[in-house]
Amino acid sequence: MRDIITEIWSTAKRNKLRTALTGFAVAWGIFMLIFLLGAGNGLINATEQNSGKFLSNSMVVYGGRTSKPYKGLKEGRSIALNNRDMKTTDESFRANVDKMGASIQQNGVNISVGDNYISTTLSGVYPNEQQINKIEMLHGRYVNDIDNSNSRKVLVLSEDQAKELMPGHIEDLIGRYVDVGPFGFRIVGIYKADQSGQNTNAYSAFNTVRTIYNRGDSTDEISFSFHGLKTEQDNEAFEKRYKAKLNTNHSAAPDDGESIWLWNRFTQSLQMATGTSVIRTALWVIGLFTLLSGIVGVSNIMLITVKERTREFGIRKAIGASPWSILRLIIIESIIITTLFGYIGMLLGIAANEYMDATIGHMKVDSGVFTATMFVNPTVGLDVCINATLVMIIAGTVAGLIPARKAAKIRPIEALRAE
Amino acid sequence: MIHLKDINKTYRGAQPLHVLKGINLDIEEGEFVSIMGASGSGKSTLLNILGILDNYDSGEYFLGDTLIKDLSETRAAEYRNHMIGFIFQSFNLIGFKTAVENVELPLFYQGVGRKKRHQLAMEYLERLGLLPWAEHYPNEMSGGQKQRVAIARALITQPRLILADEPTGALDSKTSVEVMQLLKKLNEEEHKTIVVVTHESGVANETNKIVHITDGLIGKIEENLDHHASPFGINGVMK
Repeated sequence: MRDIITEIWSTAKRNKLRTALTGFAVAWGIFMLIFLLGAGNGLINATEQNSGKFLSNSMVVYGGRTSKPYKGLKEGRSIALNNRDMKTTDESFRANVDKMGASIQQNGVNISVGDNYISTTLSGVYPNEQQINKIEMLHGRYVNDIDNSNSRKVLVLSEDQAKELMPGHIEDLIGRYVDVGPFGFRIVGIYKADQSGQNTNAYSAFNTVRTIYNRGDSTDEISFSFHGLKTEQDNEAFEKRYKAKLNTNHSAAPDDGESIWLWNRFTQSLQMATGTSVIRTALWVIGLFTLLSGIVGVSNIMLITVKERTREFGIRKAIGASPWSILRLIIIESIIITTLFGYIGMLLGIAANEYMDATIGHMKVDSGVFTATMFVNPTVGLDVCINATLVMIIAGTVAGLIPARKAAKIRPIEALRAE
Repeated sequence: MIHLKDINKTYRGAQPLHVLKGINLDIEEGEFVSIMGASGSGKSTLLNILGILDNYDSGEYFLGDTLIKDLSETRAAEYRNHMIGFIFQSFNLIGFKTAVENVELPLFYQGVGRKKRHQLAMEYLERLGLLPWAEHYPNEMSGGQKQRVAIARALITQPRLILADEPTGALDSKTSVEVMQLLKKLNEEEHKTIVVVTHESGVANETNKIVHITDGLIGKIEENLDHHASPFGINGVMK
């Protein structure tokens, strides 16, 4: 092997400029591949971070409108979820449902402390809301079961709301009574605001809100976490059964798809994973096509080299070089050129990704309502580097194949005849 | 050593060219033979066949006890490597390799280790008086020196047959004499079988047997032990 390296080094040395130019094309191809994949990872990571806000094995149920007449009732009836649906969810689907919860919203509620006040949506929730929407507490606690069963007037505010009500020391709000409309509520917790700005509600116990605002036995949403639904088919079957059951509660056709709406975060994340892999594949394809021009360049240069070295190969064959040894020499030369410059490109690509990570990786897009990071950790992992190495070796072999076959086919007498 | 029986060779093309028209030739071990002929007589083709660089259409060629016929390229390369040493008119050294690296090359293809190879190559260069030039590149050497490097390369595998194609063709008369003396010495002292192809009668005269080839057929075979075959024979110039 050392002999072959020496041979290749001595030929590469003779054509420095040519070798460098060829190498540049390959380095550029690999650079683009790594850079694209890194940037793509940044976008994917950012998206995943945003969607990671929800517990993936959870569903939220809303009432919709019936789409077909059933049992003498016409279509277009709006369905309001109620206690019966909650009970059905909790009792009939034990096999899959872990924890059932519900929430009810009251808009335009004023909360005031002294001179400061905010207007917000008050959500009456079950304790499982915290897990399902991944609410992170800064101070105090979230709504618990006792709050709900005793209809306690407790209040959980967001960080931003707390700041509005008591600029400075928001933690002092815990345990204080504030005015919510005409009622006195006790603040029990403050949660961390997320960047998306989607979650700006104040929370209280479900039963409290429903009772105070005279909502009878209705609910706006039912939410639950589930288990044992591993595949998309499992999920579809479950959703179908679930909808049918709830439709029966409301005298709607069991196969009516629009009377009950389900937001299944699990299938959503499955779809997202599919989307992510499509993006990754697309980036690989683009990168590989960029690399292809480099490979054609290497192949082209190797062809010229072989042409120039015809006589040398003729001599080698005359004194006993087998076609295979010539073939091997050229292919290894091609692989070495490709991988050497490929690694330079890879290092530059990684450097560019690190630079991106250090600059726009921390830049946040602020739309006024929410902030979002465009790129999160836009870098490639070791797996990509290993794959890229394999790509380079394969590419080098492919690039060297045609020139090598040509070299191996050189007939010594023809080569030696050239004077 | 060499046994050729009814060798025919035709170059196919728009106008098929029947170059060798039934060559019968025997060369014994330890002979110093020259093949003489004008250009176009088929002597180069014959040499290529002898050197397993080219195929023939019909007939039989035995080198030693081995029938050389329809060999795969790999097989042919192996036989060339082990049995034949080549000396060419234009030396055919590899330009970007030093003298010693050029001499080592046949051993590289035999898979001999680096150290052993180098040591052997240095020995052969020493025998040919080229030790000081071992690390020089071919373009730093004179024609005679280059040809001696080529001879060292031909000898290093200890082949049974040395094939020389116009070995003096690119050399001046003085160097030509030296090279021919060298080949003669190899034949006398080491009993190497040497076949020289030439169109120069002076060169042929240095050998012990002259095979004349005309128009693809063996003509006269001269025994030439007292080297007076040509008008330039005794004490004459070679060319």
